[in-house]
Amino acid sequence: MERKKLDIGLYGFTGCNGDQLVIVHSEDKLLDFFGAANIKSFSLAKSDNDESALDIAFIEGSIANREQAEHVKHIRERSRMLVAIGSCAVYGGIQSMHVKPSWEERFKKVYGNNKLDVRTPTPSLPVGEVVKVDFSLPGCPIDADQFFYVFGQLLRGQTPAMPDYPVCAECRWKENECLLLKGIFCVGPVTAGGCQAVCPSHNLPCLGCWGPVKEGNADSHIALLKEKGYSLEAIQNRMGMHAGAGIPESVKKLLGA
Amino acid sequence: MREILVEPLARVEGDGGITVRIDGDKIKEVSFNVLEGTRLVETLVVGKTPEEDVSIACRICAICTLSHRYAALRGLEKALGITKLPPKAQLMRTLMHMGEFVESNSLHVFVLALPDFLGFPSAIAMAGKYGNEVLKALALKKYGNKIMRLTSGRMIHGENPTIGGFGRYLDRTTLLELKKEAQEQIEFAELGVQLVGGIDIPSYFEKETVFMCCEPGDGEFGVMGDQIRISDGKTVPVEEYRSLTNELFSPHSAAKHCLYQGKPYTVGAIARLNNLGDRLKGRSLKLYEKYWNKRWLKNPVFNNLAQAIELVWCLETIPVLVDAILEIDEDPALVKPSRMDGEGVGAVEAPRGTLYHNYRLKDGLVAEANLIIPTGQSLEDIDKYLRIAVEELLKQKADDQKIRMQCEIIARAYDPCISCSTHMVRIERV
Ligand code: SF4
Ligand code: SF4
Repeated sequence: MERKKLDIGLYGFTGCNGDQLVIVHSEDKLLDFFGAANIKSFSLAKSDNDESALDIAFIEGSIANREQAEHVKHIRERSRMLVAIGSCAVYGGIQSMHVKPSWEERFKKVYGNNKLDVRTPTPSLPVGEVVKVDFSLPGCPIDADQFFYVFGQLLRGQTPAMPDYPVCAECRWKENECLLLKGIFCVGPVTAGGCQAVCPSHNLPCLGCWGPVKEGNADSHIALLKEKGYSLEAIQNRMGMHAGAGIPESVKKLLGA
Repeated sequence: MREILVEPLARVEGDGGITVRIDGDKIKEVSFNVLEGTRLVETLVVGKTPEEDVSIACRICAICTLSHRYAALRGLEKALGITKLPPKAQLMRTLMHMGEFVESNSLHVFVLALPDFLGFPSAIAMAGKYGNEVLKALALKKYGNKIMRLTSGRMIHGENPTIGGFGRYLDRTTLLELKKEAQEQIEFAELGVQLVGGIDIPSYFEKETVFMCCEPGDGEFGVMGDQIRISDGKTVPVEEYRSLTNELFSPHSAAKHCLYQGKPYTVGAIARLNNLGDRLKGRSLKLYEKYWNKRWLKNPVFNNLAQAIELVWCLETIPVLVDAILEIDEDPALVKPSRMDGEGVGAVEAPRGTLYHNYRLKDGLVAEANLIIPTGQSLEDIDKYLRIAVEELLKQKADDQKIRMQCEIIARAYDPCISCSTHMVRIERV
């Protein structure tokens, strides 16, 4: 018996659209993708969008104004499942970075006392702080193969298995020479795998764009960072750069501080 | 009161919309709205190292991630006293930049814009009737992505292009493969120009404007330079960009708008071809000569055709670049900064127009940043052309559907990049 095609929507909130583009850029899989499910809404790629009940809503970007918060709540209400894609949606992204001064002060610096009449800006939040998220796929941007794997599993009603090891594991599989040993500051030990250790493979340090690795799965790698004497603060700053404001706390936990 | 709202404007990158308000036969408002949430990127990079800045700044936009990276690298390198890169590093930067032009122009021309003219809601829907063209266009875009992926390290936001050069260079086999593919793709790119060139472009909203782009400075057509070429005949050093891009706040858009001497202006492929098109050579010159005419100076919808011609130029340029890279065996080491304090302005052409990254460094950290993004520069002109179009359409007693459609075509022709435009913000000097 042929399975009923699932109704899917893809939405972009505040970010760079990189995750939606990773999907659009997967030309070989794109026509199949449009064929495997009923893509009801995908405003980056088409204009005849239908905003009704969905089986799965994929959300890219963080929530950075009141209207976006309303919109994502509305999507949540009519979706069976909601999946956050990309570090902006999952962690809040660069725009949720932990910096000083406060968001209000920085906003004022940029826009002065002017008021926008089209939108009500707010500090940027991960999607999960506004609505319930059923599944999170981090990455900045997400990895195409990982997305299509997750998509396939969800279509079949299964829970996708995500890497629970740090970037270091992938880096070692690639037999790279460790940058920490060369005195270069790399946060691969505390960063979730999934990128295939792309930066270290180009002789460049990991900057943490995939967000933190799961607790308890990188102890031996983390020991490496500690051994090299990098401070908790330096690691938190690095990790907090690409992923959001909550990252420093999770890094603290990882490092057992 | 008649109200026509296009929200969201589909098939553009980011969250944008168009508002048209009409009272009787009078226009109350016509505006292109940037609705995207703000990210305040310029405030995020303060206190960061140059390497960190590059990694944050490129995330402003996924389509033009490499243009942002390139402009940031140039601005920061100037500030760090790195005035010249080894030839191989410079050639690789140009190659990566070409990859982005191929990706972005083909995405916009064939996937985002063309469906309007052929009457389809999306390129996927077009595939039924234009299957062959859609597949070939996707293959061309994929080729652009491939160059971006290989030169930058991954499809989007790759870190390989870094301060002072590249983390890793491409091997001979890969380079030769890229060259061969450029030669194979060029035929379709030429067909693409004919396809887009065959479309009737309405003339009722035509009006003169000002065009700006980077001046390569070597007498050749190009997409980067340290001077800005303006269609009024002036050439201005990029350091003086503030005098060209006076920013102003507009309540209907989260992006700041720009004016040149109090007047709206346009950037992007159409500006480049209007200002520098006669410097093209070979096949792209032939196409330029065949299709360029004075209407281009008045009608932004020709931007689609300009982008299509640029695609041919890119595919002619890539093999030349590859040959030049192949002549240099040794991979140069990263150039080291000669100072830790300084200021620099980097300007490159992003596919949608001139992009400026201005940084001031203090003790090796970013003290101040100012970024001027292409779509923000064209916003006043987008509003202007939308208004003229609506005025004319009202005279013709057009219905809402027609007004809506024409407005979408004009706004989309600019290839607006809305993620980018929300960073069109200025920080006062502290
Ligand atoms: S997670 Fe990264 S790629 Fe995705 S929208 Fe945010 S900045 Fe862009
Ligand atoms: S610390 Fe960085 S370079 Fe070293 S193994 Fe981990 S990811 Fe690779």
